[in-house]
Amino acid sequence: MNALTIFAIGLGTAFLLGLLGERQKSLGYMLTLAALTFMSAVSASWLVVFAATGADSFDIFTAGTAPPFAINLRMGLIEAALTLLINLTGLFAAMHMGDALLRLGQRAMAVLIIAIMALCGIVLTRDIFNLFVFFELIVIATAGLVLLSDDDSALAAGFKYLIVSQFISALLLVGIIFAYHATGTLNIDGMAEAAAAIDPSVSGAFAIAFFLMFIAVVAELKPFPANGWALDMYEAAHPGFSAVFSAASGTAALYAVDKLLQIGGTDWLPVATGIGIVTFVGANLLALPQTNDRRLLGYSSIAQTGLILTVLGQQDIFGDDYFFIAGGLLFAHALAKAGLYWLSALVAGRTLPDWAALQSRPLLVFAFISCVAMLSGLPPFPSFYAKWELAHLLVAEGRSGLLALILFGALVEAGYLFRWFGYLIKRATPAESIACPAHQLLPIAAAVLGGWALGFVWGELSSSYFGRTNLLLTLPLFFALTFLLLDWLPAWVKNTLAIGGMVAFFSLTYAEYDPLRLIFAVIFLIGGAVTLLASYHAHGRRIGFYPAAMLMYAGMIMLIRASDSFGFFAAWELLTVGSYFLILRGKHSEPHALSYIVFSLGGAFLILAGFALAASAVPPAPTFEIAQLADLVQPVAPWVFLLLALGFMTKTAAIGVHIWLPGAHAEAETDVSPMVSGILLKAGLYGLFVLLMNMGKQSLYGVELTYVMLWIGAITALLGNLMAIFQEDAKRLLAYSSIGQMGYALFGLALMNHLGWLMALMFVINHYIYKSMLFLSVGGVAKRTGTREMFKMGGLITLMPLSFIATLIGIIAVSGVPPLSGFGGRWIFYNAILTADARLPMVLIFLSGPIAFLYLFRLIHTIFLGQLKDEHRRLKEAPFWIILPQMIYVALLMVVAVVPGMVLRHVDAYISQFFPDGALNWEGSTITSQFGYWNPVAIMIIVGVIFMLLFGWLLFVNRRAQKVKQFNFVFSAERPFRPETTHFAWNFFAPYRKAMGFLVQPFVTRFWAAVTDLLHTAADITRRLYNGNGQTYAFHFLLFVVAVFTFRMGM
Amino acid sequence: MDFDWMKIPYAFLTVFIVVNYGFLMTALIQKIGARVGRRYGIPIWQNYLDMIKNYGLRSSITHGAMFYLGPVFRLSGGVGLLLFVPSIYGSYMFSNLSFAGDLILALYFVFFGTLGMALGAAESGHPHAAIGITRGLSQVSMAELPFGLAVFSVALQYQTLSVTDIVAAQQGGMLTWTLFTNPLAVSAAMLSFLGSMMRPPFDVVIAPQEIPIGPPTEYHSSYLALMQTNRVIFPVAKIVIYMNLFFGGATSWPEFFLKVFLIYMWSAFVGVVFPRFRVEQSIRWFLVWAVPLGVLSIMVV
Repeated sequence: MNALTIFAIGLGTAFLLGLLGERQKSLGYMLTLAALTFMSAVSASWLVVFAATGADSFDIFTAGTAPPFAINLRMGLIEAALTLLINLTGLFAAMHMGDALLRLGQRAMAVLIIAIMALCGIVLTRDIFNLFVFFELIVIATAGLVLLSDDDSALAAGFKYLIVSQFISALLLVGIIFAYHATGTLNIDGMAEAAAAIDPSVSGAFAIAFFLMFIAVVAELKPFPANGWALDMYEAAHPGFSAVFSAASGTAALYAVDKLLQIGGTDWLPVATGIGIVTFVGANLLALPQTNDRRLLGYSSIAQTGLILTVLGQQDIFGDDYFFIAGGLLFAHALAKAGLYWLSALVAGRTLPDWAALQSRPLLVFAFISCVAMLSGLPPFPSFYAKWELAHLLVAEGRSGLLALILFGALVEAGYLFRWFGYLIKRATPAESIACPAHQLLPIAAAVLGGWALGFVWGELSSSYFGRTNLLLTLPLFFALTFLLLDWLPAWVKNTLAIGGMVAFFSLTYAEYDPLRLIFAVIFLIGGAVTLLASYHAHGRRIGFYPAAMLMYAGMIMLIRASDSFGFFAAWELLTVGSYFLILRGKHSEPHALSYIVFSLGGAFLILAGFALAASAVPPAPTFEIAQLADLVQPVAPWVFLLLALGFMTKTAAIGVHIWLPGAHAEAETDVSPMVSGILLKAGLYGLFVLLMNMGKQSLYGVELTYVMLWIGAITALLGNLMAIFQEDAKRLLAYSSIGQMGYALFGLALMNHLGWLMALMFVINHYIYKSMLFLSVGGVAKRTGTREMFKMGGLITLMPLSFIATLIGIIAVSGVPPLSGFGGRWIFYNAILTADARLPMVLIFLSGPIAFLYLFRLIHTIFLGQLKDEHRRLKEAPFWIILPQMIYVALLMVVAVVPGMVLRHVDAYISQFFPDGALNWEGSTITSQFGYWNPVAIMIIVGVIFMLLFGWLLFVNRRAQKVKQFNFVFSAERPFRPETTHFAWNFFAPYRKAMGFLVQPFVTRFWAAVTDLLHTAADITRRLYNGNGQTYAFHFLLFVVAVFTFRMGM
Repeated sequence: MDFDWMKIPYAFLTVFIVVNYGFLMTALIQKIGARVGRRYGIPIWQNYLDMIKNYGLRSSITHGAMFYLGPVFRLSGGVGLLLFVPSIYGSYMFSNLSFAGDLILALYFVFFGTLGMALGAAESGHPHAAIGITRGLSQVSMAELPFGLAVFSVALQYQTLSVTDIVAAQQGGMLTWTLFTNPLAVSAAMLSFLGSMMRPPFDVVIAPQEIPIGPPTEYHSSYLALMQTNRVIFPVAKIVIYMNLFFGGATSWPEFFLKVFLIYMWSAFVGVVFPRFRVEQSIRWFLVWAVPLGVLSIMVV
């Protein structure tokens, strides 16, 4: 069907609407919807044609003549896609604002149709003056539509918009006149040709003319900081229309800029880039302190537009990938922003915490988070694929600085979006439930489903053009996403499915892994399944738990299976997001989950940059295999190493980037803590393994990076342990202990010798088992006592004996005391350091070892020993399903303690290919190294026999021992007052704090608090410029024009 | 596994010798300490009397399972430590059960008894026990550090973790002892030694002269007997490690008795001269005086 029908329908319907009588509003509304549907259908039909046949775009000549004598329109794949987006946005917006349109009557409907038609016109036209006309139409229509809002400030906002728009129009018109004068044509393509061949004597004049046109069109994108007027609009307009303003208007204006850049040529690309990146970073920063939801979305819209403008400005290096990248970002932005604006109509309050109203509607929560994920560029959405290619191309062209700015802006954006999501999930729900009329839900559903569908399309494009994976077609992710559909099932059914799926996947694939990966696969899948047993204790449906948990596990297993950098990174992001949702489920975990996701995404961006840098240093190929890391040489190699190592160390919570961990692990639910601590942390270690396996030692400016890691590991081990001993909260204690344990593992890896790696692996296995066990038993206790503060407990050993046994075995194993499995780790550690080059960092590790005893003893004493509190006298043992996995872990620990060789000897042999020297000798049950020997079976037997002999002896001589009551002890001839004053538990290690407390001042926490404060303050200061005065905004715009002009001329 | 069953009676013999030697030696040292303080002191067989008395007590209570097991853990720790290290160099009979593991096993097994004892004492519910434990753990965490560094230094020096090999390397005259080949490590270790002997200035953990405080507070009768047995085995076992690592080991029982006595005397000697530290003071003391020596020893070895 001829593309001109879009205009015909648009104009015709608008005209027809005018003819209808006052009382025929419903008919008018039907006509409006029909017209927009029809316009969409036209675009859709063309999209199908172009996508199916791969046909070239073609021109439509109005007035029957070729340009420059008549206006021509162009329809191609891009135009079809963009007009479809615009028309659909219009259609759903009309549906969404049905009430408002019916109230205001046919005139409003006509204005909407004209606006949509004009936006299509901007996309389709190839005539510069025609472009101006469409812009004018939009200005009028927009101002009209803004007034539809019930908001009182809409009038002012619309007026400000008109002021600035006139300014813009004037510039555009003047520009067009001069450009026409210089080139003799109004046709865009003709003007581009003429501009390329322009007479040098008039090139200066043409440059100014072009500048005027360019700046005018760019101004339509509301660039930072000349955008105060636009923000008022976003805030004040009807959300149904704000979606159009953000998604459709932005799209059209961006395409207009793209057309203008064809005229301006490559000289103008840096200008676009500059404006784009300043806008992206600036608007995101300003969004940070926003409290009004729609204004925040406005800032975010502006930022996203800025990002796409940056991409437009970089089109010279993108080649064929240009539309893949720009399109991925654009569609993700448009759909997400439309979805969010439409969602905002359902929420009564205008502050961000008001969105907690959505809590009761899981589907709306899903819609919200889908939109947030699209905006943040998370897999499997188009923006993720675009982000990946964007980063690679920028780095390949040496534009790493620009990438750094983009990633910084993206991190800030993710920060405020996820903070918002945190409010939505965790803040108190308002009393009145939200109304969800179908006509408002449908557009939201369309946007969200569109986003997922485009995720699939981009995945397909990515796999067919770049040979990457379509993430939505990978089995683990698919499995995880099925739980979204199954969320209505009771929790135990889903739990069974999840466990079954994980075990089945493992049994199908276990033959594919090498020994190292096999260990991680066992921990992720089988270990995950064992931990999930604890989830049987949960009743009801447990909405949202399983998709999140399965997403995390899917990410983890995809991580091991990934052979190229893309698969690895995608898996990394998936597991990050999945674990974030899990952590967020905790009762008080809102700020901690936020800090987790921000640190994790920051780490992920470093990994992205690292992979991009790595790929730029090898011969161009569609994919970068992880193994190719080994081929990298100076000067790129150490930087890649640095970026990747920092990224992975964020996940293992190395000191400096550890502050997210204690809260995240401590506040998570009972069965989530063992998942995120015992299992998830291993993903970071796996990354480090992969990195070191392939890249080995690297030095930067003469500093050996593994040596630095050695220090970081040692300091982390020491400070993690030190901080653990001062915790009053049992789960926080365990969380800090994890930091310390990860420090040990990092240290082992950084030793860069055979036994160091073996030790790290031993830590991987041991830490998984005992930390999962300890978190479960402490979680079980906390569940029963209703507190995690250890000093409020005490004497629970007789009431919760099984939890006590698990804790006891756990702490013996953690502390490394023979005969349990922790000792193996220590023994390997000592052997490993004997061949290490560096000795000083060992001192710290030596110190941290005994410190572990302090917190471990505190854990078991203050909870299970000492004085039982009166209110706990009737407590029962923790629920069966929480105890069961603990008992499995106890058995596992025993097995690993007696026959560590069962697992380790295979890995030992595997590590030999990297470090041939120093392998252990596994003869019989004795394990021998170059320096010493150790026989776990003999140790277990000897210790057991001695213990039993002495125990038997004591039983014999002391057979009549009489059990006495709690207060029956020698107390200076006094009777203790009450358990609370007798249980020695609070501030347990006061002398230690006096002596060593100076080491645990929260410097790192203060540093990061200062960073976030600085960002907020900076944003707040800039915010004062946006004073709401139309004249000021006009002045901003003028300044902006002058600034860009100066920048351009200075280039 | 081909295991020589004769090792079992041999091990019992070692324990028997060491227990009796320990009873007499600790009493002797008590006596020496008393004489320095111008007191007469206990009879040399006092420990035997105490044992008989403790086993003979008829009143016996328990606070629970861990309380009951505490002394068992404690004494298992002492006996195990003794048996994991060869007592007499070159003697198959008194090589004990050292085939099970090397120096690292011994070092970590030290904590087996400590931990078990702490758990047992904690179950008594007595705050003084818990206070004693926090003091003990706090102090030991820093006191053990110089020793750990010294061990690392010695292992680096001899390139082995096997106690037998380390002793073997020191055979050939006094000047081949680690004491003379690696004096820094030995100095660090000997300062650390003071911290683990429960004598002044580092005895605030059990504070023996004051009101009953510290882990043993609630223990009595046969529990106390087990703990007293450990009180004589454990220091000897620990000194055996010192002797083997730093002082050339012992090739015969008389040499063993003499060296153990002299090393023990070092802590007794310091103990009668210096007053007691508070815990945070002793932590700082080890950090300032002993740790740097240990660090130096691993840097220069």
